Amino acid sequence: MTSFLTDLFSNFWVSLAGKLLIVALMIPLVGMVIGFAEMKLSAKMQARVGPYFAGGRWGWAQLIADGVKFFQKEDLIPAEADRPVFKLAPVLVLVSTVALLVVIPFGPDLIFRDLSVGVFFALAISSLSTIGILMAGWSSANKYSLMGGLRAAGQLIAYELPLVLAVVGAVILAETMSMAGIVEAQVSAGYPFVIFQFVGFAVFMIAALAELTRIPFDMPIAESELVMGYLTEYSGFRFLFFFLAEFANMFTLSAIAVTLFLGGWWLPGIPDDVLAYAGPLILVAKTFLLVFIMIWFRWTFPRFREDQLQSLAWKVLVPLALANIAITAVFKVVLG
Amino acid sequence: MVLDQDLVRHLSETSVSVELETEDMTLNIGPQHPSTHGVLRLVARVDGERAFDVQPVIGYMHRGYEKLAEVRSYPQITTLVNRIDWVSGYANEVPFIVAAEKLLEIEVPERAQYIRLILTEMARISSHLVFMASYPLELGAPTPLFFALRERERVLDLLEGVTGGRFHPNFNRIGGVKPAYGSGSSTRKVIQDLPAGFLAETRDAMDKVTVAVDEINSLVAGNEIILARTKGVGVLPPEVAASYGVSGPNLRASGVGFDLRKVEDYLPYHLFDFEVPVGENGDCWDRWHVRLLEIRQSVRIIQQAIDGIPSGPLQAKVPKVIKVPKGETYVRAENPKGEMGYYLVSNGAQGPYRLKIRSASFSNISILPWILEGVLIPDIIAIMGSLDFVLGDVDR
Amino acid sequence: MTSSPSETETTVHPLQEFADAVAGAVGGEAKIAFDTVKVRVAPEQWVSALTTARDELGLVFFSFLSAVDWSAEVEVGDPPGDEVEERFELLAAVGDLGAGRRVIFTTDLAKDSPVIPSVVDVFPGANWHEREAHEMFGIEFVGHPNLANLYLPDSFMGNPLRKSYPLLSREVKPWPGNVDVEPMPGGDEETTEGPSEENPEA
Repeated sequence: MTSFLTDLFSNFWVSLAGKLLIVALMIPLVGMVIGFAEMKLSAKMQARVGPYFAGGRWGWAQLIADGVKFFQKEDLIPAEADRPVFKLAPVLVLVSTVALLVVIPFGPDLIFRDLSVGVFFALAISSLSTIGILMAGWSSANKYSLMGGLRAAGQLIAYELPLVLAVVGAVILAETMSMAGIVEAQVSAGYPFVIFQFVGFAVFMIAALAELTRIPFDMPIAESELVMGYLTEYSGFRFLFFFLAEFANMFTLSAIAVTLFLGGWWLPGIPDDVLAYAGPLILVAKTFLLVFIMIWFRWTFPRFREDQLQSLAWKVLVPLALANIAITAVFKVVLG
Repeated sequence: MVLDQDLVRHLSETSVSVELETEDMTLNIGPQHPSTHGVLRLVARVDGERAFDVQPVIGYMHRGYEKLAEVRSYPQITTLVNRIDWVSGYANEVPFIVAAEKLLEIEVPERAQYIRLILTEMARISSHLVFMASYPLELGAPTPLFFALRERERVLDLLEGVTGGRFHPNFNRIGGVKPAYGSGSSTRKVIQDLPAGFLAETRDAMDKVTVAVDEINSLVAGNEIILARTKGVGVLPPEVAASYGVSGPNLRASGVGFDLRKVEDYLPYHLFDFEVPVGENGDCWDRWHVRLLEIRQSVRIIQQAIDGIPSGPLQAKVPKVIKVPKGETYVRAENPKGEMGYYLVSNGAQGPYRLKIRSASFSNISILPWILEGVLIPDIIAIMGSLDFVLGDVDR
Repeated sequence: MTSSPSETETTVHPLQEFADAVAGAVGGEAKIAFDTVKVRVAPEQWVSALTTARDELGLVFFSFLSAVDWSAEVEVGDPPGDEVEERFELLAAVGDLGAGRRVIFTTDLAKDSPVIPSVVDVFPGANWHEREAHEMFGIEFVGHPNLANLYLPDSFMGNPLRKSYPLLSREVKPWPGNVDVEPMPGGDEETTEGPSEENPEA
């Protein structure tokens, strides 16, 4: 039986189909789990209970119920909207999230595709969502959405730079751009890169929060000012795409941070054969730790104003990241 | 009232670059909007993120109270009047009833005055807690909302226990406050006083409110993002505030230590020891901070009042059909939102001949065109929220 | 709260000195009633009186500006008991920010042509109050930058707070006027008004 399965999956097309299926299922699943975690955690922080009725006392089926609800809603497109662009925007945002999953190493040999330029690919694909957001803001034919879209364009482009610069330090330490290779470098070095790259890690996390347009960087959505910013006119399953994409993106960006800085699927002291099975669990646990911190920030801080946000990116994060690169490079050359 | 010149905000210095001709956009904020505290509409001309001409349009909630007051009797108007500023319901009734009592020249018993004072201060705490809840929400921090509203529930439960209503107490009567009746015909003539345990529960609730206010303060005061969003934003110089009629915590945040509770005699505030918090710069942060300190002072007043409340009748002797003799008077009170006054013209009938309601929020937001000149859009929300107005108070 | 002492010729009201100072400075006549100081000036002195109050008397806080419609015949409510002079009485309340003393300046405007200069240049806060008085009473404020309707829609006709403006609900059921308390439906009269130990009749 096992040999039959191994032969089956050694066929390229079968394994491709299998990988696509897993990725397609992972995104909604991860999205729902993180969404539910956010609801419950925020409730605890606010002296509430959170979802309570759907699925028994825990309310675990809340997001499943929400998903079904969104699907059966009427597909409303504003009369003046640009229809093809309006329909394409959520798809683009979701696609950029899904594509990120491809290069994340879940275990010693568990990676959908180990690209030799994995880091480069990940960052490039994640910036596709910027176009999707701009498309959403423009095509909605609504002044509030337009303002939200413009704010998003400014913010996301500004924070791309610290995001990219922050990972360069880890790449220098690992001497490779392949994601699996970076984890291997941390394994062989015996320590996670965050010990020396804490500045890079902090800059990456802040820039990731900004890329996700989560509070404190949620000017583009800014519920209390722009109703929902670029999302105002989206309802039904299109809104569900954006919604899922946000939570799934939290997962993927945190997973990238874990891979680059926190040692990925590796924990010191665990033998290799156990890691083959425990690897994904370790990665997911570390990722959820970072996701928890993101959720915690969201419910504690208010939002930055647009100009404060921009000055944070350009005047603080970019110089920090550049200094980090310089110092890392010097140390790498000197200490080998 | 020396003003730091660096903080006086000048008119917008928007400069449009020569190569890039941009058009300005007219943006309607409201009347249905999460942050306008009701149905306020701001017609803003914006250039990018900067607004340079903001005109408020009000009247969506105009209910014609001044005209209605001419066809109602005094007890009926009490019902109308506590719907003006519905967040601090009880505080609206007091100056109106005091005006009628002034024209009747009757003396309100001490116990009734103490009860009125306690309930007014509780209304003040309730109103300021709503501000503590909604202002960080507008800035983007959703969590203080829950802490503040949870504490407000305690105060509202107390108000409901005494007056029967959380928002619209309708508790004042000409000559005092309304004593409770027993139910059923055999006890109809028995006049009851405050509910049993009210004073002890109030003491307990005040302690809990103090703890909660400290919690909210620690969540907000040290938060760099909130400070960056509110410090130096929306500076209101005291001379401008006075000439526009801005009153209450907004005026005190600009450095003017003027509190009607210290100078007017509508309630016996002179018997109690409390401070009047004053801000320094007149920006949004000061308006927040002054209201937070005012909650603490209100707690202090309530505790002193509970300790010293005298016994006695709850209402002076008044005729069954009350006709207020001819006269005119203006009574003003320190409401949570600012100065609320009633100019009462009476001609000896059962209702007033003319009742002019001077509401605090009406004057407070008349300053919006001045203060929102050349301001970024997120700051519009921050400044509007810090003025703490309610549309019922604006439109009457 | 202390009840106001009845005004007799021998006791001087504590506000008398202040009222006389104000009246002297602006050239009007002062009246004190029920703890309220009213200073009456002629319409020509309106702007200069408020300017003097702001600059010389320290009354920098602008409280409100409104009007009272004195008419003998009214569409709503009870008519004034005594003889009244048919006029609009324009009120402007200002106060100081120290001891909290306040004055209500009044002037009389003719009913058929209520025109008066605007005080927006003296107190910018009067802007909205004058708009409200304009739409509610029909008073014309000369020099006001934007005398548009404040509360009412632009197409609204009439001035609601004038005594000649009827209330629709009162067309359906007329005002009962100066009568005793209406009985509660199905109950007796004793449970309607404010209770006291003994109930002296009106």
